[in-house]
Amino acid sequence: MVEIGIVRYGAYMPKYLLERKKIAEAWDFPSIPGGISVSNNDEDSITMAIEAGLDCLGDLNPSSVNGLFFASTTPPYTEKQCATVIANALDLRNDIISMDITDSTRGSSIAIARAYETIKSGNANLILVIAADTQKPMPESMFEYQYGDGAAAVLVGNSDVVLSIMGYSSTADNVIGPWKRSSDDYIRQFEVKHEALYGYNRNMLAAFNALFEKLKVDPGTIRKAALYATDPRAAAAIGKEIGFKSNAIEGSPFLEFGNTGNAFSLMILMLAIKRAKTDDLVAFGNYGDGADAFLLKVLDKNALLNLRKLSHGIVGYKNTMIPLKSYSSYLAKKKLLNTERYTRKASPVRTWRDEKFIYRLYGMRCKNCGTVQYPIFRGCIECGAKDNLEEVKMRRVGKIFTFTLDHLVGGVYYDTPVPRCVIDLEEGGRIFCDMTDVENPEQEVHIGMDVELTFRWVHPGANFHNYYWKCKPVRFSKNIEEDEE
Amino acid sequence: MPRQGIRDRVAIMGVGYLKFGESWEKNAEDLLIEAVYNAYNDAGIKDPQEEIDAGWVGIQYYFTGLSGASLADYIKLYGKPMTRVENFCASGMDAFRNAANAVAAGTVDIALATGVEKLMDEGGSGLPGFREFGHPVLPLPSAPAMFSLAATRSFHKWGWTKEDIGRVAVKNHANGVHHPMAHFRKAVSLEDVIRAPMISDPLGRLDCCAMSDGAAALIVTTPEIAESYAHANDYVLVKANAIAVETMTPWYKPSFTFTEFNSTMKAANLAYKEAGITNPSKEISFAEVHDCFTITELIDVQDLQFSKPGKAAEDLKNGRYDAQGEQPVNISGGLKCFGHPIGATGARMLVELTKQLQGRADGLQVKNPELGLAHNLGGAFTVAAVTILGKKE
Repeated sequence: MVEIGIVRYGAYMPKYLLERKKIAEAWDFPSIPGGISVSNNDEDSITMAIEAGLDCLGDLNPSSVNGLFFASTTPPYTEKQCATVIANALDLRNDIISMDITDSTRGSSIAIARAYETIKSGNANLILVIAADTQKPMPESMFEYQYGDGAAAVLVGNSDVVLSIMGYSSTADNVIGPWKRSSDDYIRQFEVKHEALYGYNRNMLAAFNALFEKLKVDPGTIRKAALYATDPRAAAAIGKEIGFKSNAIEGSPFLEFGNTGNAFSLMILMLAIKRAKTDDLVAFGNYGDGADAFLLKVLDKNALLNLRKLSHGIVGYKNTMIPLKSYSSYLAKKKLLNTERYTRKASPVRTWRDEKFIYRLYGMRCKNCGTVQYPIFRGCIECGAKDNLEEVKMRRVGKIFTFTLDHLVGGVYYDTPVPRCVIDLEEGGRIFCDMTDVENPEQEVHIGMDVELTFRWVHPGANFHNYYWKCKPVRFSKNIEEDEE
Repeated sequence: MPRQGIRDRVAIMGVGYLKFGESWEKNAEDLLIEAVYNAYNDAGIKDPQEEIDAGWVGIQYYFTGLSGASLADYIKLYGKPMTRVENFCASGMDAFRNAANAVAAGTVDIALATGVEKLMDEGGSGLPGFREFGHPVLPLPSAPAMFSLAATRSFHKWGWTKEDIGRVAVKNHANGVHHPMAHFRKAVSLEDVIRAPMISDPLGRLDCCAMSDGAAALIVTTPEIAESYAHANDYVLVKANAIAVETMTPWYKPSFTFTEFNSTMKAANLAYKEAGITNPSKEISFAEVHDCFTITELIDVQDLQFSKPGKAAEDLKNGRYDAQGEQPVNISGGLKCFGHPIGATGARMLVELTKQLQGRADGLQVKNPELGLAHNLGGAFTVAAVTILGKKE
């Protein structure tokens, strides 16, 4: 029997964390421990999904991927498929299966089930599932305590499988949980206690009961249970009711960085399998307008351990967040204040035409003089040779050749400058990018500084989401394994 | 080299300009018509409709769609070839190039070369239009940011400092105090420059030239025709005029150093060759160079071969470029004091050169100048123009 399951995983957490006590101070609320992860003002669910996708794919050839399923309740577009934008930046092929699964936090597990079925039917071998959410909670509401921003990805395939999918069960339920009408800016909820009892508990129990009955598995034999829950204690309670051993139930990272929506269950799963052994059974449960219950099996402990060398994952990312100094910087990063924003004249048609270098980050090598350069010109910028080039993918790391710390953004003066950097990329090519995710540019930015490129939202010209690459300080200073613990 | 160059074949028979600055009560029409009529008066043109054969105007903003009528309509000179020229900060000097070449080609006898810009109507916080053109997402830095990229790299390569570039502002402001047409007539100290608010680090506010309004006009003809006009005895001859255009996106060019501007070096070499100049640091008596930012002037004087590479800051500190120095640079006060109405600047520099060579400078006068050089640099170090003028022989 061909095993279908998880081949690789990846994650992305934004650089910033707002401690809940800052929210408490701002609004005179009772304080809750921990914090929420906060995306920067040039990040959204698309850009974070791309980062998680890059982390998941690692050194894999993107051409080997047959599908991209994107799950989010906060897609930047409600009409226009976000998966295609993400696939472009990940340099996936055009003949892939793509979809957005939106409107429920259960999207990420629905996506895994769809990927499983598509592969099982023989229509694909390798499907990338990415979940990302950037919930915008209403200021001065308890929702601010709940939601963190983040992304997670799993590659589902039929070879090199590390975690085999043994089966799954689902329920669909018109639960009164959180909702957002198409005209709403902020998420809403009616009665939390009611949802916990009749939404979360009932659906999780029903889905897992059906699963274990179908697979003839005793829940007491499950070594690890990764269960989505909006409340830090809910998973332990329902897990016990399902019949898991209490030490099998993975604790919730809710307090640590908040509920990251569609990405949350995948993050809990990554945390749960950290120390799993060969043949361990892993339960994975997700919730949102019903529940999905999965049974997974670890095929090879060493292969699972090896994944930790291939991607940063949630374990790597969550340890590299830094606390925000103030609640006001959170408001600015989340664009919760209605200030005028810099924009430019844009032509989505030009962006489309230049897809190869805008999204996919290709440049060219001149076959006459050998110069690697960016973007793709008809003539070589050094020797002028016409149409004598090969397209090459640029590396996403490089060193600053020169820079300025610019206090003017679109003619408006800002006290904290934007570093604008000329970067010599590794293996050739020179690019010009703004720097993001940098707190003290006056101290940090220098000639020769190592930077990495990151795909970000840049402006709303033509009422379109315009994205482009920026640079940022290298996030992981040590190798992947050492970042853990 | 072309078979026949321009050297000594074109004469400047009259010049006109007006006070540069924040001309709130004037529009581009006011500025241009006043500059042109000042030039008519200076040249002794009595009947423009009869005497002027063609005209060029350098304007950078707004970008397109205004045509040669933006000169013809303002000065009400109809039915003649009138062309609008746009070449970044060299727009005014390119208008002059076109007029001079037409005279040299013999297709016109007397031509107008003008430049005008009305920047302040767009607000004073940086050049307008950066949001309006270019690629939808590829970054396009503001002018101060572009030149700061050069400053950062020059500091790294040559060891220059904020003080070194600051001395450019101190010198040019000291000169500008004496010029009645300058926007700013105020001396600044090195401390003032260094302590000014940062715009694009390392360039602070006093490292940047200002947004200003202005216009300038020159009337060019053949030396023979100039003999029968007002400046028959002291018209000025064009010795060379060259423009070189490089990439608009030097940040994609791996070999670009950011410490020298290829466009200036190439335009200068063309101009020196045409003028027969082999030792510019000795033969050029004085120069008006493009000091849009203080760093620009330091790099300019190296690219123009006045200073050896890396030595500009030292030469400046030693007084070489002072009004009383060996080779005065920006004795008018430069863009630092006149501001930079884009299309007008190149034409204004040529007015300054002409008046200096005629010994009737409005500000400080260079002693016995033989050859004067004017230089513009526009875009992302993209377009450079070099013009060399000399006295009537």
